[in-house]
Formats: sequence, C-alpha cells, structure tokens
Amino acid sequence: MAQKLPNIHKDALAPIDMVRYSGASGDFNEIHTVPKVARQKGLKEPIAHGMLLMGWAAEAIEEWLPDRKLNKFTVRFVSMAHAGEAFVIEGMLTTENAGELQIKDTSGTGKLVGSFEME
Amino acid sequence: MEQEFHYAPFRVEAGKVREFARALGLQNPVYFDRQAALDAGYRDIPAPPTYTTVIDFWNERDFYQLFSQWGLDPNDILHGEQSFEYGEDIISGDVITAKAVLTDQFDKKDKRFYQFETTYRNQNREVVRIGRATLIERREQHGAEIAEHS
Repeated sequence: MAQKLPNIHKDALAPIDMVRYSGASGDFNEIHTVPKVARQKGLKEPIAHGMLLMGWAAEAIEEWLPDRKLNKFTVRFVSMAHAGEAFVIEGMLTTENAGELQIKDTSGTGKLVGSFEME
Repeated sequence: MEQEFHYAPFRVEAGKVREFARALGLQNPVYFDRQAALDAGYRDIPAPPTYTTVIDFWNERDFYQLFSQWGLDPNDILHGEQSFEYGEDIISGDVITAKAVLTDQFDKKDKRFYQFETTYRNQNREVVRIGRATLIERREQHGAEIAEHS
C-alpha cells in the first residue's frame, strides 16, 4: 500500500542557521560553525549538524501525519550538508503505521535516510 | 573506559523549547503557545521529537564531559546514525534524568565507531525516550571527504 507523501522543500541553509542551532541545542562543536576548525579537521567548510536535519525530518512526519503519535524514528546521516544547499524531504507510507523518508539536496545527493513508526 | 554516564537532572523549560523549535524552523504552534498545547491535549508546551539533544548538551553534566570521560575530541566526531523510541511525552516543567551506556565499539579502516544507548526518564521514573546513537571518530584526517561512512 505504499503511499507517496507530499514533498517538503527547505530553503537554502545559511551559516547563521547552524549558529542558531548550535546555541539552541548546545552542540557547539566548531566543525559546524568555524571554517578554520573545519578545515583543520579536513573538511572543506563547516558541516550542518546531523540533528538539525533530523529535526526537520521529524517536523515533516508531524506535517504528513498530524494527530498521530510517533513511536520510533531512526535515521542515518549518509552525507554531509553545508550552507548554500537547499533540500527536499521525500516520504512514503509503507504500511498504515510506518514509513520511510529521505532528505536530498536539490542536485539529488542524499543527506539523510530514515524510517518511522506511528502508534 | 567507563561504560556508563549519568546526566544531571534537567528541567524542561518552555522558553528553551521555543528557542530550539525556532532554530529548527518548526511551525507547529504547540511548541510556542501554551494554549495551543492545551488545546492539542498536552498539559503544557511539549518538547519536539529531537529535543533530547538539548538535554545532552545543556546539562550540568553534559555530552562534552561524556566525550572527555571517554577520551574523545568532539571535533573528530561525526554522527552516523540516530534512533529514538518514544514513551511518555516530554512536557515543559518535567525534570528529566538520563543514563548513557556504551553498548559497542569497533574499528573500521581509520575510523572508530561508538554505539551507545541513552534512556531518559521523567520525574515519575517513566521512560520518555530511548535514544540510540552511532558516533564515528575520525582518527586521521587526510583532507579527504568523508561522505561514505556507510
């Protein structure tokens, strides 16, 4: 009964979004916000917090299935996300109570894949 | 290496929930407006599904102390996987305690993988979340892209 869920589009990520998420979450790892540290650690530029993308994905589930309670939610961060990238969240219900989702950038590169179960 | 880490009790505050929800760009009014939360059947403003990160990092005994106890440099750590099982809702005013347990550790190429499980309970000792994380420690950086950590 696979049922496609409507795509959700996210505007291009800005560096300030990562700064704001650092402050709100308390995850101040500098690879997310300080270009010099990111480069020292072998990255071209700061990378978005994985949990920022998981937070978006959780909101997508709420939008797709309002008034349903989430039971389980699992994600894998398949590649790094950076400032300047815009994203699309795609989802599918695989049964009445379970589904899968992914976040890709607009060039189609996967960033996060996940699955969820509702009560 | 110690296998267990106990967070300090953490009070969930509506203002911090609002800040976190705003940083994620969440639109659902239950995270911002107490009346909307009450109308939706919550006893106060609820925490969003990934809020436990705030409990991990804004704790008196925070994730950085866990990293330090386990000998890790946070800037060498990538988040590989995360899962949550949801129990009772986390609601503003709750006091959450949590215990993290290192469940597995193994090396693959030049990376070390850590798996741990964190159980979060509210003031009534009810389980509100069980988080399972895979963290990847990059033990050498060669300036390479590290996209392929599957």
